[in-house]
Amino acid sequence: MTTPPPADSAPVDLSVQLGRLRLPNPILVASGTAGMLNSIGLDNDGIDAFLEHHLPYLATVGAPTIVSIAGRDCDEFIAICAQLEGHAGAAAVELNISCPNVSHGVDLGTDPALCAKVVAGCRAACSLPIIAKLTPNVTNIATIAKAAADAGADAISAINTCLGMAIDWRRRRPLLGNVVGGLSGPAIKPIALRAVYQIARAVKIPVIGIGGIATIDDVMEFLVAGATAVQIGTANFYNPQGTMALLDQLPAALAMLGAKSVADVVGTLVVP
Amino acid sequence: MTNPLHADHYADRAVQQRVTVLENVQLARDTYRLRFEAPQLARQIVPGQFVMIRLAGCNDPLLGRPLALYDTVLSPSGEPIAIDVVYLVVGKLTSRLAKVSPGQTLDVWGPLGNGFPPTPAEHLIMVAGGIGQTPFPALAQEFLGSRTYGSPPRSVPRAGRVTLCYGARSADYLAGVEDFERLGISVRISTDDGSQGHHGLVTDLLGLELARVSRETDVTPQNWEINPPPLQNGDPAELMTAYPGTRVVCCGPEKMMEQVAKISALLRIPCQVSLETPMACGIGICFSCVAKVRDESGNWDYKRTCVEGPVFEAEKIAW
Ligand SMILES: Cc1cc2nc3c(=O)[nH]c(=O)nc-3n(C[C@H](O)[C@H](O)[C@H](O)COP(=O)(O)OP(=O)(O)OC[C@H]3O[C@@H](n4cnc5c(N)ncnc54)[C@H](O)[C@@H]3O)c2cc1C
Ligand SMILES: Cc1cc2nc3c(=O)[nH]c(=O)nc-3n(C[C@H](O)[C@H](O)[C@H](O)COP(=O)(O)O)c2cc1C
Ligand code: FES
Repeated sequence: MTTPPPADSAPVDLSVQLGRLRLPNPILVASGTAGMLNSIGLDNDGIDAFLEHHLPYLATVGAPTIVSIAGRDCDEFIAICAQLEGHAGAAAVELNISCPNVSHGVDLGTDPALCAKVVAGCRAACSLPIIAKLTPNVTNIATIAKAAADAGADAISAINTCLGMAIDWRRRRPLLGNVVGGLSGPAIKPIALRAVYQIARAVKIPVIGIGGIATIDDVMEFLVAGATAVQIGTANFYNPQGTMALLDQLPAALAMLGAKSVADVVGTLVVP
Repeated sequence: MTNPLHADHYADRAVQQRVTVLENVQLARDTYRLRFEAPQLARQIVPGQFVMIRLAGCNDPLLGRPLALYDTVLSPSGEPIAIDVVYLVVGKLTSRLAKVSPGQTLDVWGPLGNGFPPTPAEHLIMVAGGIGQTPFPALAQEFLGSRTYGSPPRSVPRAGRVTLCYGARSADYLAGVEDFERLGISVRISTDDGSQGHHGLVTDLLGLELARVSRETDVTPQNWEINPPPLQNGDPAELMTAYPGTRVVCCGPEKMMEQVAKISALLRIPCQVSLETPMACGIGICFSCVAKVRDESGNWDYKRTCVEGPVFEAEKIAW
């Protein structure tokens, strides 16, 4: 898509620090929703093709590339991390431990011990900043986040899709091939906001907020709730030029709170 | 360095904009023509390309829906200023769209997809099933030489003949037949229930049309599929000369497109189909629109209909 001309930017510092990863601004594209970062794991060309064809191209586009990876089990996550080590072009790795892949009958992202094991293994296998991406489909997301942080994650991103369902009652049939599926978009924003708030209070590492973010108000709500950066997923599908517009609108929104930088508003929620 | 996911028809030229509805009129049962103001889009778009449409500021339905270019609208001075799409009410967006009035706004992004290639044809046969007729008014005019599309306007060698084979469930679903007839092309109609035109399938019409153009052969709708035109020397290549310069383009339900593809392959007639795969983004980022498409070596791979289609060589589709 052609990008709209940049608006005059106010004198606000948009850069953010995600652990060891410095980003020029806090607005990122979520995995699986850019046709790019979704390229690793199960239903794709695999890590070899990614390293050979996609990553070299991504390194030229002028934005830091966070490589999202998913393995079938703990060992596969670690093996992919080891392969990424030393590859120029990857700025960080995001562990998608929130997809419904099953390890010994337990979802890696739903059990604090398994989550810690994956993160620690990846930490040992590669020196890139590690972001653990968490699922909202758990009883207490803060416990999982804490396990990831203690195991050496540089940042937490949350949330992945919520399990949902759609039914055609007239035919008494599920509308999704797999009966249940991942719900994303505006419907899950309140869940994501709650998760980010809970995680930010439980860990010291930065949190990346994801889930239903589409407008500048959404972005600001996540920052105030405790997110250092945000990722836009589904909104890219129905508002292709919207993510770029958010970047234009951010300085004015920060200025409304009297902030000189993004960090000035992160986690500033006042709970009466 | 090139993007390995980049397709020839990536949405690089597409623009997202809020547009104003100018007209929304009923053409047939559950079928409406929507006109909206979009000069830049109208200048760029070519037949077979599509746009994604949403109701402005409305998150239900959340995702846009693809609709093909029906035609562009010219100002009195001949400048493209607006876009016509024709839609059949089948679900959420289309039923809400049917209630839209002039002056209301829509969010639109396009032009998207590849469109029909401007390859020369002596006889262009357009085969449409149901609402699959929508890409053809513009294509017909382009091949008749009465209109140009694209910026800069793409040049299409004029076809000697243009025929539309148009099949619908029943007479009341036939939409825009007058638009086609006004162009001066041959229009052949079939309906499933016999309420207008040939009582039967649109593929029968194609068989009849091909029987008409091939003088030596005896092709009847009843037997022609199992009995392709007899070969005089037993050489299948001979068939090509039975239909010199004929080209088939097709849009409609998948089963019907598959049948048209088979017929064309049997008679060695070049055929392109425009797939109606459901789409979520239209710009190549979600992979929800994939179709099984064969490469040169005959292996199939998933291709994104929105950026690598929606128009494909029929022989490449793994039905
Ligand atoms: C390139 C392209 C061009 C097109 N051009 C045109 C055109 O010019 N005119 C036109 O009328 N149409 C066109 N279509 C088809 C059009 O996009 C669809 O009819 C439209 O998206 C329907 O949207 P809706 O919200 O009204 O229907 P939806 O509510 O999305 O429902 C569509 C159909 O799917 C069923 N359905 C709904 N949800 C599900 C589900 N989760 N699983 C299974 N089935 C479901 C519904 O019952 C209904 O039959 C085109 C499609 C493509 C890909
Ligand atoms: C079509 C689709 C594909 C996705 N694929 C992935 C994926 O491969 N890896 C991943 O970590 N998350 C994936 N996600 C989850 C998103 O990255 C994001 O966490 C989630 O959709 C919530 O954000 P949103 O509401 O902004 O979309 C996918 C989401 C969608 C809708
Ligand atoms: S519709 Fe999203 S990739 Fe084609």
